Amino acid sequence: MNTDRYQRQIILKGFGNEAQEKLSKAKILVVGAGGLGCPALQYLAAAGVGCIGIADHDVVEISNLHRQVLFSLADVGLMKVDVAANRIKQLNPDLKVDVYPISIDKLNALEIISKYDLVFDGTDNFESRYIINDACTALKKPLVFAAVSGFEGQLAVFNLDDERGINTNYRDLFPIPPKAGEIPNCAENGVLGVVPGVIGTMAAGEIIKIITGIGKPLANRLVHYNMLTQQQYEITISPSDEYKKMNCEADFIEVHKPNLTENYIEIDVDEMNALRTRPSTLIIDVRERHEFPRLNTSVYRQIPMSEFESFATSVINEENIVLICQHGVRSIGAAEILHQKYKGTKNIFSLKGGIAKWRNYFLNQ
Amino acid sequence: MKIEKMHIEIISFGKISELMDNQTIEIEGVGNTDELKQYLEKKYPALAEMKYKLALNKNIVQQNAQLKNHDCIAIMPPFSGG
Repeated sequence: MNTDRYQRQIILKGFGNEAQEKLSKAKILVVGAGGLGCPALQYLAAAGVGCIGIADHDVVEISNLHRQVLFSLADVGLMKVDVAANRIKQLNPDLKVDVYPISIDKLNALEIISKYDLVFDGTDNFESRYIINDACTALKKPLVFAAVSGFEGQLAVFNLDDERGINTNYRDLFPIPPKAGEIPNCAENGVLGVVPGVIGTMAAGEIIKIITGIGKPLANRLVHYNMLTQQQYEITISPSDEYKKMNCEADFIEVHKPNLTENYIEIDVDEMNALRTRPSTLIIDVRERHEFPRLNTSVYRQIPMSEFESFATSVINEENIVLICQHGVRSIGAAEILHQKYKGTKNIFSLKGGIAKWRNYFLNQ
Repeated sequence: MKIEKMHIEIISFGKISELMDNQTIEIEGVGNTDELKQYLEKKYPALAEMKYKLALNKNIVQQNAQLKNHDCIAIMPPFSGG
């Protein structure tokens, strides 16, 4: 270990070689190499964390660049995990980086998370957030949670005992996940780039505190940050009795078992293509009108999620309805809305992974 | 027992702050957080459709809690963006 590199933090009172040594032995998993993940990765790598895992299934898009500061224009179309891993290794060659070019899902969460000491959740959807939260809770791993919306952000530390020996997790705040599409994401609601920059950097600070044992981590506290007023509002979290806390891997598997009755079917691009040639098929792009890439609206009818509820009240004649969006998350929300209306009398499909995953297919048409 | 008029400070976040400004409300006949939820959801019907959690004087409300004059209620939605 080159201690010159870390000299300015080693000389800090209460830090020293001992804390630096702890960082160099730490294994941190960063889930989501987006607006929150990028600054966290930069500061963790710079601070001398020994091993960092990066999980993200997405490629870099041009609309990411205003907030995802590890990426440049030349990286558009490349896997985020690969670009991020290269950048942070350039920053600190001592660093060991594991890349997972996939989503953390109910099938792989326990296996991947169990390899790390601490997890950072900087994902952009509730499905992933609940899986990560539950797997960390079941495995008793500290979890640094960060989320943003518009000009505001939230930061908390879960599964870490406070001085009374009490710990909490995201289900103590919101025991039941919101329905798909219920809460707007960054693509629908917008976000100022600097907001995940601030929150992701504060998250890196919490991670360094937890690993080195300095200061007072945000255990059982949630900080709400508003950039427009530059105010923070801190809320103390206490355990909820509205859900059964996960204490072991079996508890996780019990909650996250595969669905037996599907309200809709998730398909890949080949299956969508096959459906497209069949009569009585309607393909709907539920992204908002400002989103890229733009698709041919004579093939992909555009009905943004913000108008979908009112659209769903109209009569649809087609038997097969395929819903698509950027990442395959909002399209599930739309599929649920149509299922509520048609109750199995139509075939409802959602393109898994969305346009981002099948980018080449959509761009080559 | 007649419940006295009370002043309660309301602080809201995210999408909920688009429904209501931060403000101090004067309420009568509202004595606890469950009743306050009903009052707010009646006054702001869109709130009833949203997921949110209350904090009373900066502590998460896990079960119905008594309100007293000059208490502060924060209304927090879940955020998912990254």
